[in-house]
Amino acid sequence: MNSFAERFSTTSATSQLRKAQALAAEEDDISDAMWGSEAGFGSLAKGVPTFSIPAVADPTAFLRLHTDDHADPNCRIKIQHGTTTLAFRFQGGVIVAVDSRATAGSYVASGTVKKVIEINPYLLGTMAGGAADCQYWETYLGIHCRLHELRNRERISVSAASKYLSNLVYGYKGMGLSMGTMICGWDKTGPAVFYVDSDGTRLKGDLFSVGSGSTFAYGVLDQGYRWDLTDEEAQELGRRSIYAAGHRDAFSGNSCNLYHVKEDGWKFIGNYDIAKMHYDGPGDVPGAPGGGYGYDIRVEGLTSANPPPVTAAA
Amino acid sequence: MANADGGAYSYSLTVFSPSGKLVQIEHALAAVSQGTTSLGIKASNGIVIATEKKTSSILIDDSMLDKVAVVCPNIGIVYSGMGPDFRVLIAKARKSAQAYWKIYGEYPPTRVLTQEIATVMQQATQSGGVRPYGVSLLVAGWDINRGPTLYQVDPSGSFWAWKASAIGKNMVNAKTFLEKRYNDDISLEDAIHTALLTLKEGFEGQMTEKTIEIGVITVPTVTELEEGKIGGETGRPKPTFRKLSEEEVRDYLAL
Amino acid sequence: MSIMEYNGGSVVAMVGKDCVAIASDLRLGNQALGISSNFQKIFPVTDRIYLGLPGLATDVTTLRERFRFRVNMYTIKEEREIEPETFAHLVSSTLYEHRFGPYFVEPVMAGLSKTPSGGVKPFIAATDLIGCLNFAKDFVVAGTASSKLFGVAEGLWEPDLEPEDLFETISQTLLNAVDRDAFSGWGCIVHVITKDKVVTRTLKGRMD
Repeated sequence: MNSFAERFSTTSATSQLRKAQALAAEEDDISDAMWGSEAGFGSLAKGVPTFSIPAVADPTAFLRLHTDDHADPNCRIKIQHGTTTLAFRFQGGVIVAVDSRATAGSYVASGTVKKVIEINPYLLGTMAGGAADCQYWETYLGIHCRLHELRNRERISVSAASKYLSNLVYGYKGMGLSMGTMICGWDKTGPAVFYVDSDGTRLKGDLFSVGSGSTFAYGVLDQGYRWDLTDEEAQELGRRSIYAAGHRDAFSGNSCNLYHVKEDGWKFIGNYDIAKMHYDGPGDVPGAPGGGYGYDIRVEGLTSANPPPVTAAA
Repeated sequence: MANADGGAYSYSLTVFSPSGKLVQIEHALAAVSQGTTSLGIKASNGIVIATEKKTSSILIDDSMLDKVAVVCPNIGIVYSGMGPDFRVLIAKARKSAQAYWKIYGEYPPTRVLTQEIATVMQQATQSGGVRPYGVSLLVAGWDINRGPTLYQVDPSGSFWAWKASAIGKNMVNAKTFLEKRYNDDISLEDAIHTALLTLKEGFEGQMTEKTIEIGVITVPTVTELEEGKIGGETGRPKPTFRKLSEEEVRDYLAL
Repeated sequence: MSIMEYNGGSVVAMVGKDCVAIASDLRLGNQALGISSNFQKIFPVTDRIYLGLPGLATDVTTLRERFRFRVNMYTIKEEREIEPETFAHLVSSTLYEHRFGPYFVEPVMAGLSKTPSGGVKPFIAATDLIGCLNFAKDFVVAGTASSKLFGVAEGLWEPDLEPEDLFETISQTLLNAVDRDAFSGWGCIVHVITKDKVVTRTLKGRMD
């Protein structure tokens, strides 16, 4: 990167930030009390949040040096990468299902991560990539969705909300933001799912899966997907897809969080342990066939390699 | 025709004579039987190997002569026959023992080392451009598996385990003597005396601590072994084979 | 990415009272993708010695055969069974032969050695990929979950455990450690070696 050109550019992301920072610095009369009233998002008076930037010639390169674990596996800051998230649109609304594993390198840092971000009662965002980036910007998106409601006396469309997010992250392109998200909800047009990532990509579609385990989820999803799925069938498909990814992908697993968005907003369906789904199935839930999802469990007693379980010896 | 004994077959090592003999090996055995007498006796709690040390001139410093050699802490060898050949074999045997230690972290059992030496000697009976080693060996060793064992190796590369054996000039008489004297529960002390008596048969000249050499294997007790394991952390197990000093030999001769 | 993480897998061994235990996971992966949940990494060497080989799967298979060959040759040549200490040295020297192009495995050994007085003594050891021996008195760990195994073992292990308690300790150690490792898991197997028998059990683990 040409840091010299960067320093004097008036259009690059860095210089935009520099300007915003300079602006914020001038506003010393904004009391610290303001922070509390704006939910930790700093002064939003200027329309953009501000960030402190390392005092080096090329902050982007500096950040990459300390976070990019592809270039340097020994770097101290590890950003969470592995995940499986999915969302699909069908006759009965939108199903959103995610796993709950957070890894740092090979270490399973947490098995109880909430990867569905409840933006407001009608909008859900999923989390893949940088956990902090997703959490921060999707909550920030929530603030603007509410401001939209207040200004226009109607709820923001999923399309508009997702576009707001996509434009926002595009402004930081190349600075190390990492997020792959699905903005899901129900608006005047009915159920809607948009894929947005930190490259600036924004796609409308019926069915998406994001993360290291997405290929496994897609396998199950594509095979079982129909528009006219019943609610129960759709929920089971979401669960079953996340199970498949949790099983096969080293960086996904632990449990599945399932949401269903309908006309009156989203509803949390449940949390399902992947190990329990493997051996016993999701439990007594509508749509579940009964019995474990695990291959060995399903074929037990049916092949020579899997003889019937030994009954108590006489 | 080369000579009367072997004819054309006597020079080429790798060719059998029509009677099925490798004549060079027989010649090597003849060389051994001209060498000074050596013997070994296995006792209930150890082994003794002993030999006569002969010098051609009184001017030779015989303190330098070594006919009983330590191969590794648990194995010693004595020979009859050609000194230089023995020196080479000992060098190979020591190297082999160290190579074994490098792989397994312990010294070879007697049988394994004997087999290694025997293989070297056998190869000299089958390779081009070489002659067989002109020595017979008595290998005495101790290992955890087989306890104390005594082997004899001949120039042909064949080897056997013995309770007692003799090689060299006086071997026939010595063996007959040993056969009369030997019993299965002889103690090491008695075995050392028997060895001296046997050597004395047909000994030329005065038998002193300067003219004989003795090596002994002492079987460690169970407690010694368990302590040895602790001491084993230094990587040097307590030796079970050692050569007797001139003072010790003098004391045995005096009795 | 570490080469150990290419296929993943972990092994742990522990000393008990007149017994030893060795356990491993059963996962074979291709980086993040799980391939098999029945990949054995622990092999019997003699009736009283077991060898665990976590690491690159191709080297696991090759070394298993190499050691089988060398131990068979030893047994025939020396007309005796190899002792655990001797076998550990054999492993070490075999690996060091490839000092400048090593096999990517971290062997773990567990066995009972004979004492001169006729009893048995528990023995465990581990080496790095070029054969540096580590004789431990408590437990040894290896594989992608080694750091996690150290943590759990340090907390659970205690001296002089009876075979049943040792089984419980090693099982809980492994099960909980591999749950914190992305590249290990998919089921576990445990061997407990005592004077007169070896008890082998497979454990039901989380399959994610």
